[in-house]
Amino acid sequence: MKDCSVYIHISFCARKCAYCDFVSFADAAHQIDEYLAALETEMQTACRSYGGIKASTLFVGGGTPSILETEQLARLFSSIRTFISLDECREFTVECNPGTLTPEKLAVLREYGVNRLSLGVQTFDDRLLRVLGRIHTSREAADTISLAHDMGFHNISVDLMHSLPDQSLDDLQASLETAVSLPIRHLSCYSLIVEEHTPMAVMHARQPQRFPSEDDSLSMQRLCTATLARHGFERYEISNYAQPGFESLHNFTYWRRGDYLGLGLAAHSLMNGERFSNTESLDDYLNGLRRNEVQTLTDDDVYEETVMLGLRTREGVRADILPPKALSRLVRQGLMTVRDGRARVTEDGADVLNAIILELI
Amino acid sequence: MPHTQENIRNFCIIAHIDHGKSTLADRLLEVTGVMAQRDMTEQVLDSMELERERGITIKSKAVRLPYTAKDGKTYEYNLIDTPGHVDFTYEVSRALAACEGVILVVDASQGIEAQTLANVYMALDHNLEILPVINKIDLPSAQPEVVKQEIEDEIGLDTTDCPLISAKQGIGIEEVLEMVATHIPPPQGDPDAPLQALIFDSYYDNYRGAISSVRIKNGRVRVGDHIRMMAGGREFDVTEVGTYRPGSYAPCECLNAGEVGYIAASIKDIADIRVGDTITHADAPAAEPLPGYKPVLPMVYCGIYPADGADYETLKDALERLRLNDASLSYEPETSVALGYGFRCGFLGLLHMEIIQQRLEREFDLDLVTTAPSVVYNVIKTDGTKMSIDDPTNLPPMTEIDYMEEPFVDAQVITPADYVGAVMDICQDKRGTFRDMKYIEGGRVLLNYDLPLNEVIFDFFDQLKSRTRGYASFDYELKGYVRSDLVRLDMLLNGEMCDALSIIVHKDRAYARGRSIAEKLREVIPRQLFEIPIQAAIGGKVIARETVKALRKDVLAKCYGGDITRKKKLLEKQKEGKKRMRQVGSVEVPSEAFMAVLKMD
Repeated sequence: MKDCSVYIHISFCARKCAYCDFVSFADAAHQIDEYLAALETEMQTACRSYGGIKASTLFVGGGTPSILETEQLARLFSSIRTFISLDECREFTVECNPGTLTPEKLAVLREYGVNRLSLGVQTFDDRLLRVLGRIHTSREAADTISLAHDMGFHNISVDLMHSLPDQSLDDLQASLETAVSLPIRHLSCYSLIVEEHTPMAVMHARQPQRFPSEDDSLSMQRLCTATLARHGFERYEISNYAQPGFESLHNFTYWRRGDYLGLGLAAHSLMNGERFSNTESLDDYLNGLRRNEVQTLTDDDVYEETVMLGLRTREGVRADILPPKALSRLVRQGLMTVRDGRARVTEDGADVLNAIILELI
Repeated sequence: MPHTQENIRNFCIIAHIDHGKSTLADRLLEVTGVMAQRDMTEQVLDSMELERERGITIKSKAVRLPYTAKDGKTYEYNLIDTPGHVDFTYEVSRALAACEGVILVVDASQGIEAQTLANVYMALDHNLEILPVINKIDLPSAQPEVVKQEIEDEIGLDTTDCPLISAKQGIGIEEVLEMVATHIPPPQGDPDAPLQALIFDSYYDNYRGAISSVRIKNGRVRVGDHIRMMAGGREFDVTEVGTYRPGSYAPCECLNAGEVGYIAASIKDIADIRVGDTITHADAPAAEPLPGYKPVLPMVYCGIYPADGADYETLKDALERLRLNDASLSYEPETSVALGYGFRCGFLGLLHMEIIQQRLEREFDLDLVTTAPSVVYNVIKTDGTKMSIDDPTNLPPMTEIDYMEEPFVDAQVITPADYVGAVMDICQDKRGTFRDMKYIEGGRVLLNYDLPLNEVIFDFFDQLKSRTRGYASFDYELKGYVRSDLVRLDMLLNGEMCDALSIIVHKDRAYARGRSIAEKLREVIPRQLFEIPIQAAIGGKVIARETVKALRKDVLAKCYGGDITRKKKLLEKQKEGKKRMRQVGSVEVPSEAFMAVLKMD
């Protein structure tokens, strides 16, 4: 029996967002049933090869898991129950999009023990929602959150993006205020990243002036931190904020390099010192060709990952594993602190985390 | 059978770059049947890839052509190929010394150019017969009559019989060959005198060792002879002598007075063969060496470092290999605080430097960091001693210096009259002293300036090209050393001096240069975790300052679904970029920064 976190990927969306370059498919609803069958097979195989799987946390993400019909959701959850033990599962999250959730779907989630919802809202500004190519309005997002809360979901997280085209600090402030006025416990706030080969990249190439400068983007992240702190949400990771006690346990598995098993298309895993991922081709996956690549980690890899991931969090990393000279230089520069044997980045340091990591590895 | 020099003709082809020297050489080979047309790639004598690409001849070579003339006699022609660029002037002069005549190729539309004149004067210096030939008469813009007149007026050569040819089309080639027999005199050596063989080229052959290309002036040389290099002093046993075919050797028993060929003597180090030296017999030496030998002294120096320190050995091997064929390349190991282990390399000139850099990068797949080129300065110290400095970091403290001297060149610029103003501005700006101005054919002007070499190696070409839209041509020759008010300009990054960025510059230029280098560095040094002051300083005094602001944002937003590969990839990329940086104190400096001092706006 293997204890680990489990991630399940549902690679379907109602529509592809303008900034998205993840493995997800719009207009493929007809393949969902086939996909769920393939997923069940993968779960079965994994269960057998690990001698059973006991999930400490479970995260169903995407894509848009909530695009599944009520029956499909029920089928997915019953497959999960069949092959994965949820007896000691402390956090069961499903990623949802406003506009795809119905009271019926929420009821199924409740029934199968889902205790946390992560809602991709991105912004409460209708104009910006259209720019991003989202399918919902700000009103729908707020209504969905209230509905879910009324139906008993009291651990709701919301994703917000900043540094969007034409977005002002005031726009962002308004979105943040709206968010914290709703019954949520957790927020992920991060800047838009313009990925290649997306409509957003085309816009960026044609109208670069619409995008905020590096300094503006920095001010926005700081605005998030300050505003959310006033409302009791503490920044516990580079882009995650929570009320005390509502930090995401599942995400901590990633930051702490705990074992996690990823199931479904393009899902990534870290199990027993090996990182591996599934194929990104839906056809291959449906045909049972799952595994893509396996990487056995060297000591150097483990160290680099530990630093890279640990420093993202409030927990930081053990100070004694870091090169002392570089560390003390970074402390002198006001970018890091060392307390109780742990090294952490300061708020200034968080803005330049990549550069700090490069100093340390 | 007694050897006769009566039928030998030794000659060079001289021309301005791109007037068609190599093409004419190819035709001569083809017509004399030395090389069938189907075997010919274009420009056979230019065998180095770079030579062909740039349309220039870097190393000189010789080839023997049998030719049966209209008088029924069979002649032995020795065509000696010469490099066409000013950097290799000395090699040209040695090749000329091996000949009795030259074919002067002049482009029918371009007319006489700077290099044409320089070569003609050199040929006249050697007392050679000059056969003018007007080439490219097939071009629509050809004006052979105008060019003929130009040759008569400018050079004073009789052009009555001057062949009008198109080497490209194969027109007039026979005529040229015929005139070589009738106009160029045969050699007048004494076969029975002590051996005097002039070395006009050297190169390395994997099987034969270092080889001397020679012209036997007097006496004869055979396999087994014990020979001595008269200037170099070393002695060797001859293992092979012979003449050249295109791309191959034709060994023979003996080379006689008047002949051109090669001598192999199991010589391992090409440095033992000095171009211009005289080979004689060790046991019956000539009383005097042939005149004109001078050691080749590098004019321009720069530091060459591997971009990746791990490639040091590869770079060392590569330089060794290149020097096998190029005795004029000099190098010695040096260490820079900023750049680590590398080499201080000496070159004949800027083109030579560029060629060596490119060959290192291309033929050996090396990634290089080169420092700004420097010339050789004379430093006269207060205690009266004199030293030569080719590396700014070796300059003694100013308090120990009485005065300094810098090399000046005699520069000739030929430009269309429209750009005279612009060219004069540049020369003035480069601390030039105006000497002379002359209107020449085709509405062009020949400008003569004395210029400090250290200004010439500092973006002079680029400026000249851009401000005359590529029309001006430029040639220079070392004139001598002139006392000058020079200072060392240092660059400080975050308060620490970066040795690889120091340059020696004229005091009047130091402020402007310091400012522009500081600006350039601010552009190329990426933001780092702290603010970086960039300072230009003379002695202890800061004369310019710029700042690279601290990095403000460099963070990856979010990890999705435990996929950390994106983060890792980004980190790997940044790590790679960092590896290519040079650490100067606490500051990371990209390789291109070291060239930044060269390119100014």
